[in-house]
Amino acid sequence: MTRADHILITLVAIALPFLYWQLWTADQQANYLLIHSNNNPPRTELLTPQRTIQVAGPLGSSIIEISDGRTRFISSPCTTKACLHTGWLSRVGEFAACLPNRVSLTLAGRHPDFDTINF
Amino acid sequence: MTDKITRLLILLLALAVSACSQPKDPVFHDQFFAFGTLIDITLYGVEPGIAETISSQIEADFNALHTEWHAWQPGPILSLNEKLAQHRPATVKPGIIHLLAEANRLSLASKGLFNPVIGNLIELWGFHDNALPIGTLPDSAAIENLVAENPAVDDITIESDRVVTRNAVVAYDLGGFAKGLAIDRAIERLRDSGIEHAIINAGGDLRAIGQRGERPWRIGIRHPREPGILASIEIAGDDSVFTSGDYERFFEVDGKRYHHIIDPRSGYPASETTSVTVIHSDAATADAAATALFVAGPDHWQIAAKNMGIRFVMLIDSQGIIHMNPAMQSRIQLDPELDATVILGDPLQ
Repeated sequence: MTRADHILITLVAIALPFLYWQLWTADQQANYLLIHSNNNPPRTELLTPQRTIQVAGPLGSSIIEISDGRTRFISSPCTTKACLHTGWLSRVGEFAACLPNRVSLTLAGRHPDFDTINF
Repeated sequence: MTDKITRLLILLLALAVSACSQPKDPVFHDQFFAFGTLIDITLYGVEPGIAETISSQIEADFNALHTEWHAWQPGPILSLNEKLAQHRPATVKPGIIHLLAEANRLSLASKGLFNPVIGNLIELWGFHDNALPIGTLPDSAAIENLVAENPAVDDITIESDRVVTRNAVVAYDLGGFAKGLAIDRAIERLRDSGIEHAIINAGGDLRAIGQRGERPWRIGIRHPREPGILASIEIAGDDSVFTSGDYERFFEVDGKRYHHIIDPRSGYPASETTSVTVIHSDAATADAAATALFVAGPDHWQIAAKNMGIRFVMLIDSQGIIHMNPAMQSRIQLDPELDATVILGDPLQ
């Protein structure tokens, strides 16, 4: 065994815990937001940092807020505003939709609190 | 000897690193807008290519049924209603006959609390249209006239492929039932394709079959008045969960809410209930029952549930009080932080 072999084994041994944390633990716990709009492929957004996102729909723009790992509609060009009344989505599996503007938000992750929501 | 140990160590490290790759998520999830609502599909343990194909087929099915069953757009139901309004017999195809017969059967079971032939009242209130009326109430005399005509499914006779009526005021609107039947059709398609673990959720109402791997499906029930979850239930097997609520479609006039669940006896939105959640194996029955029990209200929901063979009910009345039967209480987990009065009714069996 050469010196290079020793260095390689040492590096792999050091990297292993980091890889485990990075590829298993971190990703399994990471939650994200899926935005569906007008039956287009969903758009994925991280739940940090705090920001607003504008999503185009048939009636106009729906505006979505992301803050502290949560998300909600803050404006939409519909009449009932049912999407706004849904409020914050904070648990994985929750979703909200603006049906008239065909925009939906789903909090997704590998370990959902709920598999679906009844309302 | 040292070389052997070193080789073994390298092999173990290589295996460990390769094991760091992400395991495949066995859950397939898809969403699309169809049937006038948001359809949410969850499948467990289905190969992604097959899952995408079946999801596309279900989307096409929902779109086709929406056209076929819509009472206010050109199609067989609108054409049927036009003939019934003229006292003329209508000939309809077998698929529609089955749909009408099923709606009529559920209406009779509910003693008319679920009434699929009050289309004229629905239109009068403006709930037939996607765009809701803003700031206008229907004429009270017009409501009274329609209620006095008492349109009911026993005014209608179905003979083979012919539908006749003795009451020209009947008009089918299958809004309180079609979504459930469409969900049942989607579940049939999944099962025909060999899929046994799935949830089909259409606009918040759903049917779940099988389970999610080693654990049951977990369903959250949204609070009717506040953001967040009111309760949760688990399903392992085959159950539909339907909620009818006054928050789904409504408009306000002078600060008062007028919602889409019309009491056929008064012609006005049923006023004593905020929401009703029922669990039943088939979605069509659950759909009609949620409407019927909402109309029945906090004093009469148990009779309506018994009439329709419903075993699990939670009703939230207009004061925020939760009513449920003991079997529902044993299945449902209310949010521990919920501050609400719960009234436990008698067993339904």
